Amino acid sequence: MVSNALGSPTLHMKAEMAVALTGITKRFGAFVANNAIDLAVRRGEIHAIIGENGAGKTTLMNILFGLLQPDEGSIRLNGEETVVTDPAVAIKAGLGMVHQHFKLVPSLSVADNVFLGMEIRRHGLIDHAAQIARTRELSKRFGLQVDPTERVGLLSVGIEQRIEILKVLVRGARTIILDEPTAVLTPQESRELFQTLRSFVAEGMTVIFISHHLEEVMEVSDTVTVLRNGKKVATRPTAELSKDELVRMMVGREVSFDRRPRAPSRGDVVLQVEDLWARDDRRLPALRNVSFTVRSGEVVGIAGVAGNGQTELAEVLSGLRPASHGAARLKGQNLAALSPREIREAGLAHVPGDRMVRGVDRNASIAANMLMGRQHRAPWSSSGVLNWTAISENASRLIKDFDIRAQGPGDAVKRLSGGNIQKVVLAREFTNGADFLLIDQPTRGVDIGAQEAIHDEIMRQRAAGRAILLISVQLDELAALADRILVMFNGRIMGEVAGDGADEDRIGMMMAGVAAPERAAEPA
Amino acid sequence: MIRDRLREVSGQIIAIAVALILGAIIILLVGESPVRVLMTLLRGAFGDQEKIAGTLLQTTPILICGVAACIGLRGGMFNVGIEGQLFLGGFAAAWVGFAFALPPGIHMLAALALAVVAGAAWVAIPAYFRARYNTNEVVSTILSNYVAVLLTSYFTIFLFKRPGGWSETPPILATAYLPELFSFSRLNWGLVIGLVLALGAALIFRYTSWGYGVTMVGSAPKFAEYGGVNVKRQGFVVLLLSGAVGGLAGGIETLGVHHRFMEGFAPGFGFDGLIAALLANGSPVATIFTALFFGALRSGSLLLEVDTSASREIITVIQALIILSVSAQVLVKRRGDSQAGERRWKF
Ligand SMILES: Nc1ncnc2c1ncn2[C@@H]1O[C@H](COP(=O)(O)OP(=O)(O)OP(=O)(O)O)[C@@H](O)[C@H]1O
Ligand SMILES: [Mg+2]
Repeated sequence: MVSNALGSPTLHMKAEMAVALTGITKRFGAFVANNAIDLAVRRGEIHAIIGENGAGKTTLMNILFGLLQPDEGSIRLNGEETVVTDPAVAIKAGLGMVHQHFKLVPSLSVADNVFLGMEIRRHGLIDHAAQIARTRELSKRFGLQVDPTERVGLLSVGIEQRIEILKVLVRGARTIILDEPTAVLTPQESRELFQTLRSFVAEGMTVIFISHHLEEVMEVSDTVTVLRNGKKVATRPTAELSKDELVRMMVGREVSFDRRPRAPSRGDVVLQVEDLWARDDRRLPALRNVSFTVRSGEVVGIAGVAGNGQTELAEVLSGLRPASHGAARLKGQNLAALSPREIREAGLAHVPGDRMVRGVDRNASIAANMLMGRQHRAPWSSSGVLNWTAISENASRLIKDFDIRAQGPGDAVKRLSGGNIQKVVLAREFTNGADFLLIDQPTRGVDIGAQEAIHDEIMRQRAAGRAILLISVQLDELAALADRILVMFNGRIMGEVAGDGADEDRIGMMMAGVAAPERAAEPA
Repeated sequence: MIRDRLREVSGQIIAIAVALILGAIIILLVGESPVRVLMTLLRGAFGDQEKIAGTLLQTTPILICGVAACIGLRGGMFNVGIEGQLFLGGFAAAWVGFAFALPPGIHMLAALALAVVAGAAWVAIPAYFRARYNTNEVVSTILSNYVAVLLTSYFTIFLFKRPGGWSETPPILATAYLPELFSFSRLNWGLVIGLVLALGAALIFRYTSWGYGVTMVGSAPKFAEYGGVNVKRQGFVVLLLSGAVGGLAGGIETLGVHHRFMEGFAPGFGFDGLIAALLANGSPVATIFTALFFGALRSGSLLLEVDTSASREIITVIQALIILSVSAQVLVKRRGDSQAGERRWKF
């Protein structure tokens, strides 16, 4: 690492710069997404790109990878001036990109996905054995643990990402671009990913990655480039910077993630979960004997490594998955007897963890997305007829209140940056007057300025007497917001800790499945 | 947004253009002049008021079947069984028409009502299996076509055959006729019904809570489910409605054009309607125009064999080419869009 930061010996390399962008400008209509950006990435370094939601990071990387054409500027790859007309050109020049939202073919195996479009053939047929062997070899070499024979549809996002990285590797990439790779990962998975990235640079490869997590940027990168409002603010060696400086360059002010002050409150029980069991998509037990309550005016956090039943818990509570045993009651009503719509009417708002699939229709407008779940209610409709004027006005108001960077309510959601899409979901769910908020990974992919705003909003909802169940893989988020933290492991609740002064070691042990001895149990 | 629209429409236009160019090449290969064929087609379709009425007469069932397909597509359901629903609707209307004596007007409405019920009932089986067991509705509705065509043939030949004469039912009573629009053509109120259906469907999808839910089921089913829309039920309802409109198309053919049911009653209208709907990207209003296009091809081709040495089948070839280029167009659509690029890269 150190040698890289100080400029590693690249004597016999053709060019020192793996990538050099000069004066890149990209406009979408009148909007300037990238404004005369220069970016130089040295060979063999890990180069982080940071900036607020909508700063233009993804756009810049899409231009580099040939998915978008710049209006102005030029690109040099390995020292050679290149017009990247499409990704094929970029791939040929040794570039590979892992996108913010990935798409794999769920019905195919891992190896088949990795080699899709460039299958290894023997006698004209796909040589599955060779593909599996090659996938296995690569995954071992770079610490990307996957089973090449498994079907992708059954795997977690963390593993899907490894597959995307493998895809890039088999295509011969020497410079790898990752767009917010850690947004979907658990802290543990992120650490593994960083190991992989380090093994890339150890082999002389180059990594460009986008992130909103400044700690990771500090930990893993050699150089940082900060973008703001489509312009480059600075490129600096990471070693010269502190986290606070980064924040200031990004947002232009201080941002606080300390524990939020709160008035003690002890409301009525809104959600009561008793001995709940459920199965996952593979019909294996995903929830076992889960019991807890959430009272109005409190934030109950669920901590745990992703894939330990949190998704299934959220789905059961929102009526999207049947419970196999036990009961969950929302204000006394048994959820098992209600449809998803009735549960919403009974007082649920739900920020889903998988925002692109569950949270929005990417092709629809912001206004249409903000209508979901309330299309049968006044003032959005009366006797079954929609009032698009009211819907649009409401959407415009929410765009303003939640600081969503968009041109207007008619904008298609897919035009928004990742973080702004999340804000669309939050704006819709936080304003539908529900008593119970089920919030799954609220700040995934959201920039730190917006993270702070979302945390403020969650605290406002708490103050307004909402009962809040907050599922997050980020312990610091739970420590800042939750009144109590329940730790899940393998479908069970391993224990509970107070949110105030949350003991990270103890939580960590429980997340790993070690039942920590109860210390000063909370009074019921 | 306007740019997106333009880009989408331009895709459809390119698809048609590619098909026409390939068609022209084939016409050259069979030794005819494409220009002459085109002029003949145009003359056959729009040459005088009778020809125009003839085109509209062909357009009517394609339009109604197209609306039926649009309704399904909106909710993410591919109803490929419209042909069969049309046949059953056509037979049901004929049966009411010849087997009962009712007052004028009421007789016609009763016949159309039964056609609607027959179409819906026929698709109910695939729709039920789809909702209950997640059976692929494309396969089951395609298969239901064969059964429908043969079943109505059986009814016509063995149960209700007109004594002497062709394989057809007795004629319906005049009380069940769908009134004609002009004296010089069999063009009838069916066209008006079709236009009203297309506009009505567009309005319902855009301006009702129900239509919003259905649209979301079609474009983002997991999102719809999350938002409280009953995805399975709406899929079922949408298929049923689609089948009902398909049945209505058959009833209108019977009551407005043939005044009886016969074997080979309305060949291909169901499939043409589906293609028209696909070419219109599932928009009922745009389907009015694509249906007109196919209607014109059909009626123009009547003159083709008379005036040129090209066979009428050339029209079928052109249609097939359009289907191919429309499907190919999905792959090249929105090339400049980064998301589409993402997809391109990933698949
Ligand atoms: N195809 C497009 N048409 C119009 N505007 C677009 C398009 N793509 C991106 N934008 C706009 O450009 C801006 C930059 O988007 P970009 O996706 O690059 O942001 P980002 O820095 O990656 O943000 P995030 O951290 O939220 O992912 C956003 O305001 C977005 O709305
Ligand atoms: Mg982005």
